[in-house]
Amino acid sequence: MESLNIYQNSYLFVIVFLFVALMLPIVALSVGRLLRPNQPTEQKMLTYESGMEPFQDARVQFHVRYYLFALLFVIFDVETVFLYPWAVAYEKLGVFALIEMLIFIVMLFLGLVYAWKKKVLKWR
Amino acid sequence: MDLKTLLSFEWGMMAPEFTILIVAVILSLIDLFGKDSIKKYIPSFAVAGIGLALIFLLFQYGHEEVSILYDTYIFDSFAFSFKFILLIGTLLIFFMVLSKQKDEEITDRGEYVYLLLSALLGTMMMASSGDLITLFVGLELLSLSSYIMVAMRKRNKRANEGAMKYIINGGIATAFTLFGMSYIYGISGTTKLVDISREMSSALGTTEPIATVGFIILFVGLAFKISSVPFHMWTPDVYEGAATPVSAFLSVVSKAAGFVIIIRLFVTIFNTGVEGNETLYSSMIGFVAILAILSMLIGNIIALRQRNMKRLIAYSSIGHAGYILIPIVSLSAMTLENVWFYLLAYSFMTIGAFMVIYILEQSEKSEDISIFTGLFQRSPVLAISMTIFLLSLAGIPGTAGFIGKFNIFVGAISADPAQYILVGVMAVATVISYLYYFNILIQMFIRQPEFEGRRTVNKMQAVPLIACITGTIVLGIFPFIALNFFS
Repeated sequence: MESLNIYQNSYLFVIVFLFVALMLPIVALSVGRLLRPNQPTEQKMLTYESGMEPFQDARVQFHVRYYLFALLFVIFDVETVFLYPWAVAYEKLGVFALIEMLIFIVMLFLGLVYAWKKKVLKWR
Repeated sequence: MDLKTLLSFEWGMMAPEFTILIVAVILSLIDLFGKDSIKKYIPSFAVAGIGLALIFLLFQYGHEEVSILYDTYIFDSFAFSFKFILLIGTLLIFFMVLSKQKDEEITDRGEYVYLLLSALLGTMMMASSGDLITLFVGLELLSLSSYIMVAMRKRNKRANEGAMKYIINGGIATAFTLFGMSYIYGISGTTKLVDISREMSSALGTTEPIATVGFIILFVGLAFKISSVPFHMWTPDVYEGAATPVSAFLSVVSKAAGFVIIIRLFVTIFNTGVEGNETLYSSMIGFVAILAILSMLIGNIIALRQRNMKRLIAYSSIGHAGYILIPIVSLSAMTLENVWFYLLAYSFMTIGAFMVIYILEQSEKSEDISIFTGLFQRSPVLAISMTIFLLSLAGIPGTAGFIGKFNIFVGAISADPAQYILVGVMAVATVISYLYYFNILIQMFIRQPEFEGRRTVNKMQAVPLIACITGTIVLGIFPFIALNFFS
C-alpha cells in the first residue's frame, strides 16, 4: 500500500515537468512577441546560420553505405560500454562473469566475421 | 557467483537448446567459409540438428522440474510438451525447405536456414523461461529472425511490402508488450514470474487498477504473435509476401510460441489469488473472450472473399487463433491439454496445406485459387492429401482437427462458469469456415482444370506430405496416443 502510493505519486513529478515543458515555449514566445518592436527587413528574415548566408536544402542525403558502417560502429561501441564496467569490477565478479564476457565477445566476433566476409567493410 | 554454484546447475537439461545454438553457429560458419560442395548440405545438417535436439528432448520425458540460474530457465512438463510441438513443426518446415533444391528468389539459402534455427531457439527459450527478461529476449530472438526471413525474397515487391508491415507492426507490438511488463514490474518489483504471482496475490486489492491496465496492454502486445484481434492485420500481407515455408513457420511455430508465452505469463502471474477471492484473471476473462469472438468471426468471414490461397490460409489462421483462445478463457484442468492438442493438430494440417500450395505454386507460378481447379484429374495424390488437410481444418470427424475442436467445445461447456456464448460463436464460425474450405474441394473435384498437364510429387516433396497426413489421421482416430503422451 505504502509502496503503491509512492509509485503513483512519483508520476506527480512527471506531470509537473510536462506542464513546465509545455508552458516554457508558449510563455516565452508570446511574451517576447508582445515586448519586442516589429521592424522586419530582408536580412533579418533570413534563416539564422551562424552568420553565413544559408545555401542548399536543409535535407541532405547521406549515402546508404554509411549506415552499414554506423551499425558496425555501434557493435563495438556497445562492446566497450559493457567491457569497461566489467573490467573495473572484475575482482568481485569472478569466473562466472569471465565466462559470460567470453561468450559475449565470441558472439560479437562472429558478427564481425560475418560482416567482413559479406564485404561490408569494403566501399563499393 | 563462483564456479561451484555454476557447475551445480543441471546444464544437461538445456541440451536441446544448446544443440540448436551450436548447429546454428556452425552452419553460419560453414556458410561463410565452406566450399560450395559442402554448402549444398546446409539444410540437411539443420534437419540432423533438429532431430538430435528432439532426441535429447524425448530423453527428458517425465523428468522432474529443474530450475537453472534462479528460474531464468525452468524445465517442467509444460515446457517439455510445448517444445515438442515447436521442434516437430520446425522439422516439418525444414522438410518443406529441403523439397525445393534450387530457389531462384532466395539467394541467401544459408541465412534462410540458420535464421529458422535461431527463431526456433527463441521459441524454445520462451517455452522454458520463468523470468520476464528471458521471456522477452526469447520473444525478440524469434521476432527479429522472422522479420529477416519474411524479407528473404529480396527482389519480390510483395515480400518487401509484407516485411515492412511486419517489422512496423511488430515494433509497435513489442512496445506494447514491454510497456505492459513495466507495469507488472512496477507493482511487484521483480521480474521472476513466481515472485510476481506471489506479490500479485497478496496485494491485489490496492493495485488492481494498475494490474488491470498492465494485463490489457500486455495481452494486446502478445496478440501480435498469435495473430489474433487487435493485431491481426499484418497476417495476410506477410503470409502472401513471405516464401511459403516461412509462412508455414509463422503460422505454426511462431503462433505456438505466442500461445506458450501467453499461457506462461497470464496463468502464472494473474491466476493466483487468496483462497475464496476472485483472481484478476477471472475478472478479466470477458476481455479475452471478446478478443476470441472477434478473431473467430473476422478471420472466418473475411476468408470467404479471398482468392489468393496464402491470404485465405492467413485469415483462416486468425480464426484458429480465436478457437485456441477459448480454452484460455474457460480455464480448467483441461486447458493446457486442449491447447496443446489443438496446436499439435493445427501444425500437422496447416503445414500439410501449405506444402500442397507450395508444390502447386512452383508448377503453376500462381497462388490464385484456380491452381486447384480440376486437381483430382491432374494429380489425384495432391487432391486427396489436400482434401484430408481441409477436412481437418474444417473439423470433420475422423481427423485431428475434429478432436481438437471437440475437446475445446467440451472444455468450454464443462468449465465453471460454462462459456455458452463462446461455444455458440465457435459453432457459427466453424459453419462459416465450411463455405471456403469446401469451395476449394469443389474446385478440385468438380471444376475443369485451367492448367494443362499432370503434376507429380517427387520423393523430397512426399516426405512432409506423408508425415502431415499420418499425423492428421492418426491423431484423428487415436487421439489418446497424444493425450497419454501429454499427461
